[in-house]
Amino acid sequence: SCSRAKDVTMPAKVPVNFFPPRSPVVDLFRGQLDHAEQLRQGSEIVLYFFYAPWCGHSIAARGEIERVASSLSDQVLFVAVNCWWNQGKCRKQKHFFYFPVIHLYHRSFGPIEYKGPMSAVYIEKFVRRVMTPLLYISSRSKLLDFLSNYEPGVVGFFEFNASPQPPGYLTFFTSALHSLKKDYLGTIRFGVVTDKRVAEEISLVHSGSVYLHRHANTSLIYPKDIMNFTAENICKWALENREMLIRWLRPHGGKSLLLNNELKKGPALLIFIPYNPLEEIHPLLDEITKVALEYHKCNKSQAAEPHLQHVGDSDSPAFDPSVPDAHLQFSQTFPIAKYPCCNTVVLPQWHSISRTHNVCELCVNQTLGVKPNKVHVPRCNFLEIEAALDSFYLQEHTFFQVISNTIECSNFLSFYSPFSYYTACCRTVNRHFLSFIGSEKTIFQTPKVAFSSHGKKDNTQFSIPHIEDRNCFIPDLNISSTNITGLSCRTNKTLNLYLLDSNLFWIYAERLGASRSTHLKEFAAIVDLKEEVHYVLDQNQSLVGPTLENFIKNFSVLYSPLKRHLVDDPSVHSHEEHTVTEVTTNTFHETVFLSAKNVLLLYYAQWCGFCASLNHIFIQLARLLPPDSFTVARIDVTRNDLPWEFMTDRLPTILFFPHQRKEQSVKFPEDFSVNLPNLLKFILHHSSHSSSEPCTKECLQKESLLQQGHISHLEREIQRLRSEISALHQAHDQLEAQLSEARREEQRLQQQKHTLEKQHKTLQLHNEQLQATYDQKNQELLEMAEKLQELADASENLLKENALLRILVAARGGKLQSKDEIKEPLQSEQTLSEDNDISLSTAPAALEEKRIDNIDTIETEHNENRTE
Amino acid sequence: GLDVASYRERVRAMFYHAYEHYLESAFPYDELRPLTCDGQDTWGSFSLTLIDALDTLLILGNVSEFQRVVNVLQEGVDFDIDVNASVFETNIRVVGGLLSAHLLSRKAGVEVEAGWPCSGPLLRMAEEAARKLLPAFQTPTGMPYGTVNLLHGVNPGETPVTCTAGIGTFIVEFATLSHLTGDPVFEDVARKALKALWKNRSDIGLVGNHIDVITAKWVAQDAGIGAGVDSYFEYLVKGAILLQDKELMSMFLEYNKAIKNYTKFDDWYLWVQMYKGTVSMPVFQSLEAYWPGLQSLIGDVDNAMRTFLNYYTVWKQFGGLPEFYNIPQGYTVDKREGYPLRPELIESAMYLYRATRDPTLLELGRDAVESIEKISKVDCGFATIKDLRDHRLDNRMESFFLAETIKYLYLLFDPDNFIHNDGSDFDVVVTPFGECVLSAGGYIFNTEAHPIDPAALHCCRKRKEEQWEVEDLMREFYSRKKTKKFTLKRAPDRGEGENAKDPEDVSSEKAGEKRNSKKSSHSLLSCPSQSFNSKLAVLGQVFLDNT
Repeated sequence: SCSRAKDVTMPAKVPVNFFPPRSPVVDLFRGQLDHAEQLRQGSEIVLYFFYAPWCGHSIAARGEIERVASSLSDQVLFVAVNCWWNQGKCRKQKHFFYFPVIHLYHRSFGPIEYKGPMSAVYIEKFVRRVMTPLLYISSRSKLLDFLSNYEPGVVGFFEFNASPQPPGYLTFFTSALHSLKKDYLGTIRFGVVTDKRVAEEISLVHSGSVYLHRHANTSLIYPKDIMNFTAENICKWALENREMLIRWLRPHGGKSLLLNNELKKGPALLIFIPYNPLEEIHPLLDEITKVALEYHKCNKSQAAEPHLQHVGDSDSPAFDPSVPDAHLQFSQTFPIAKYPCCNTVVLPQWHSISRTHNVCELCVNQTLGVKPNKVHVPRCNFLEIEAALDSFYLQEHTFFQVISNTIECSNFLSFYSPFSYYTACCRTVNRHFLSFIGSEKTIFQTPKVAFSSHGKKDNTQFSIPHIEDRNCFIPDLNISSTNITGLSCRTNKTLNLYLLDSNLFWIYAERLGASRSTHLKEFAAIVDLKEEVHYVLDQNQSLVGPTLENFIKNFSVLYSPLKRHLVDDPSVHSHEEHTVTEVTTNTFHETVFLSAKNVLLLYYAQWCGFCASLNHIFIQLARLLPPDSFTVARIDVTRNDLPWEFMTDRLPTILFFPHQRKEQSVKFPEDFSVNLPNLLKFILHHSSHSSSEPCTKECLQKESLLQQGHISHLEREIQRLRSEISALHQAHDQLEAQLSEARREEQRLQQQKHTLEKQHKTLQLHNEQLQATYDQKNQELLEMAEKLQELADASENLLKENALLRILVAARGGKLQSKDEIKEPLQSEQTLSEDNDISLSTAPAALEEKRIDNIDTIETEHNENRTE
Repeated sequence: GLDVASYRERVRAMFYHAYEHYLESAFPYDELRPLTCDGQDTWGSFSLTLIDALDTLLILGNVSEFQRVVNVLQEGVDFDIDVNASVFETNIRVVGGLLSAHLLSRKAGVEVEAGWPCSGPLLRMAEEAARKLLPAFQTPTGMPYGTVNLLHGVNPGETPVTCTAGIGTFIVEFATLSHLTGDPVFEDVARKALKALWKNRSDIGLVGNHIDVITAKWVAQDAGIGAGVDSYFEYLVKGAILLQDKELMSMFLEYNKAIKNYTKFDDWYLWVQMYKGTVSMPVFQSLEAYWPGLQSLIGDVDNAMRTFLNYYTVWKQFGGLPEFYNIPQGYTVDKREGYPLRPELIESAMYLYRATRDPTLLELGRDAVESIEKISKVDCGFATIKDLRDHRLDNRMESFFLAETIKYLYLLFDPDNFIHNDGSDFDVVVTPFGECVLSAGGYIFNTEAHPIDPAALHCCRKRKEEQWEVEDLMREFYSRKKTKKFTLKRAPDRGEGENAKDPEDVSSEKAGEKRNSKKSSHSLLSCPSQSFNSKLAVLGQVFLDNT
């Protein structure tokens, strides 16, 4: 090939519009950063979208940015800059490691980088926060609203009637903007109060003071005397001291240890809800927040703060009537005093396999137990229940024996106080009936019992065993809600609470076993990384406050009724018939233990190379073994969890479960190579040896069945051999054909050889002839040469004669001169003869040359002959 | 989420844009030159792009074109040519391509001979090409020369310096050839070369970049996992899987330990001096991106994912992977800024997607499609990116673009492709050597992405004895009295690696075979099960200390 094109190169294509021409986004696709800066001068809020045209993430984010721009373009300037084009200003000045990058400016403040999800609603929410970083709080009710939010709130109090620009206000405003830089999710909210009376609610007196609200711990006031009042300090202070009762988890998609770090802290409750940050109200989120607040409400005295009640049991519905309160219903139906304080207790069984349990309804009456320090309605305090439980478990043994379907009640004294006693009504139920206990609550007639409170407060070291709430499936009843209060401080199985937006992170829910069919993307799971277990809130229940509370409580108790969730592969359809039976979590027990066959089970994973290359061996095995007595099965353990005792730590693992001795499974020894003969030997060795028994009728029947199997096997074998024979025949025919083809070819070659030989002969003949003619020619030439030689000799003689003649002539001439000196014409004759002389002498030389030429040509001719 | 089907169709369109222009403008040359719209011979004169792209045609489902090309190759390709060819490249592209086409030809509806898969025209071509390479292995060490003349053998005065990968990248193709044809010479030379490398590893267990095949002296002593070494490690693993060979696996595991010890930093793999273990180049090479895929094959999925995520950041920075990337500086290395549309990162994404179903991996696929289309698509095909800093293009389209890059991209977006068969489908083929179960999945890709069906290796020659044994055993199944006692014969244990004791032996074996279970140790030929936290290790989340 030619080398011309070797060094051909082509510069990158010139950039074109990235956004459509009519887009509300200004598209500087040649990377004109200077122009971008100019544009910024005229606008209060600017969003820069730095992109690379080849970048998939930029392309995916383009539509989202357009959506945000179309709803905010009247207030915000959207500028997209191609920061890849290497002749553009942007590329020369900025050095990005990824695209797209979003920067926001609030007047001169910026850039604030947006690092949240590339989804229009999230971006818009963030832009709006940059537009109004401070929320103006005008009234008491607004303040309570602001503070009741689950996200930490910072309130600044500035009196504007004294001066139009109260000292510190600008700093506070900047710190709000500044917080958005650090905390891209905007979890800390900043508000400003201008009314002195409103400020008093949170005991702010002086203008310029800043307050950080906390729910479970004491709220803080910014220590001006210790720290300088700067924007950065305020922001840092708020970030350090904020309270994280419940946290959003928003993995950014790149390599990150976020979940690792959070889950390593301990068991975590992950709650997945669909979340639209732009929506004004989030009833479900409020409900979850309430649970989180209750869960973390350790210090009782804190509960006295009035505004805390705003979220959950807002006893002042007059507050802010503009917001239709979704949880108003709860607060109205809160007749706690009418209900006795009861709890259902499930007693553990000695045999874990046993499917029955003793269930006891344990009650204390509160009518007499009014606590002087509590102003609110008397509640079923968890501490009290706990105390009752303490007493109850001291007597526990008496309740183990109860095995009846009727309810038996007994009263017993409190361990702590001689004046209080409790009632316990117990009965035995099957495990799966547990879920119906709630609906059977009428069975439990709770007698009124005198009760007096006791002062036991701190007993975190004391774990509270097996509480199964009676209301677990009746979410609209609120009795249980009190039990969770402050639970986080009293249990040694503290949960961290997290929220995930199921619009973005539903995949985690699916991984934890969320059903794929459900339309409602709500899901809750407790993940314990250390114990390698997770529990799932039954997806048939709606995700509301009470169910969550029950879930948390069930987790916290010592003998937790929660069962480790086993994720099952939904993509396997059990009705599909495969040669090798595909087992899942759900079909494991049935296929392996309940079937009356020998089962060979392969644990595998699709990604493991060592497993996949064995597929053909197991298929062959399944085809060989009689299907009515053997099952060859496999389970993909990446997609199917199994009970601990059936887990394996290496793949592939091969287990054999012999018929009738299923519990005595045998593992295929790992140091043997997995092939058909070895597997057969392994199975033969371990399958049941029934031959030792004496043969009865039944045995004969079995035997005949077996032999029938054998016959059909042999028939299959014959079939196989037949097809093999036919294959061999085919191959034979093919070979035959090839052979005859080869023979024909040979013949053809033979013929070719003959003709070639003939040709060779004629050529040889020709060659000889040529040789002969050559010799002949040569001879002739030699003769010619001889003749020429003779001629030359003759000419030499002639020359000599000529010279003699000249001498003669000269002698004659002399004589003539001497005789008659006057005769002129004789002289001219002499000159003529001299001329003759010269031409004669050159002739022989020319002849010589001609001869040499002749020989040369003959020689070359000869050479040519040879090469032919 | 991401519209997988539409990306799959875009990949298909990319393939045909390149393939049709090759046929039109470059065939029968080896490669297309996309900027000048003509062809050139690069690695020989084999119509290389056509051979390389053949099985991609089938993966895309184009049966008729596959059949046409098989005929074209049978008539047009001649290995009796006076050409100096790279032993390595000829093996992976030509021998590998022909072998996989041979094994897939039945699936593609090609009329096969009665002896298939143990005979056939493509197999004969592969064998012929491989025989042309055998003279290179005639060295004192058994390690092959890098270049061989297809007509005259090794040229006098040929350099004896060969890169490590050029020595250790034969076992997959050559063992397959030996198993199919019955001639053990191929597998033998490949094994001998592998053992020679193993013998010459340094005291700390590393191998360098180039070695003298006559004297066995290391000429380039940089040790790493990338250029010059890469497919040696790859073939130890793939050979172990394909041949169920413990010895190869134990070699790899030893290397893996040394690589982790000396070259791994923060989930990057650097280059070190092979004797001292000191860092010589803190760079990431585009060719190293195959490593996560390899790790996932042996079950090290979380480490694989962590490294993959590192590599992905480089892609996001440039829209491709530069040949060299300086990790501390976060930028390309001088003279190594090109991206010839290499497949390795996409390859790893495909393997990892099988293991994790993490949407992040599909995102890489999306990014690759967008980048390649935006940057390197020209009227005549797809051009190598000469410089990732400004996306200048070069006049070359390597044959691996159609053989590998497109194939892995398509397979990433086509989870139901027959290549991903998990063993639920299979074919039964009757051969003169007996009945075979084929196409049951578990395809092993050679380093040029040509899939080899591992079941085919158990189909020819050796089978007869095994079959009689199986037949005897089956008779035993149906006899009422168990006459014999069956004990397992210990397999010839080739492994040298000392096996760690398995603490948890699930089996409850009886006293009779305590003999066996006593020495029970976890097999080298197995993967660890995935840990609990792998459930949540998606969307970039990684977890620490789960070793």
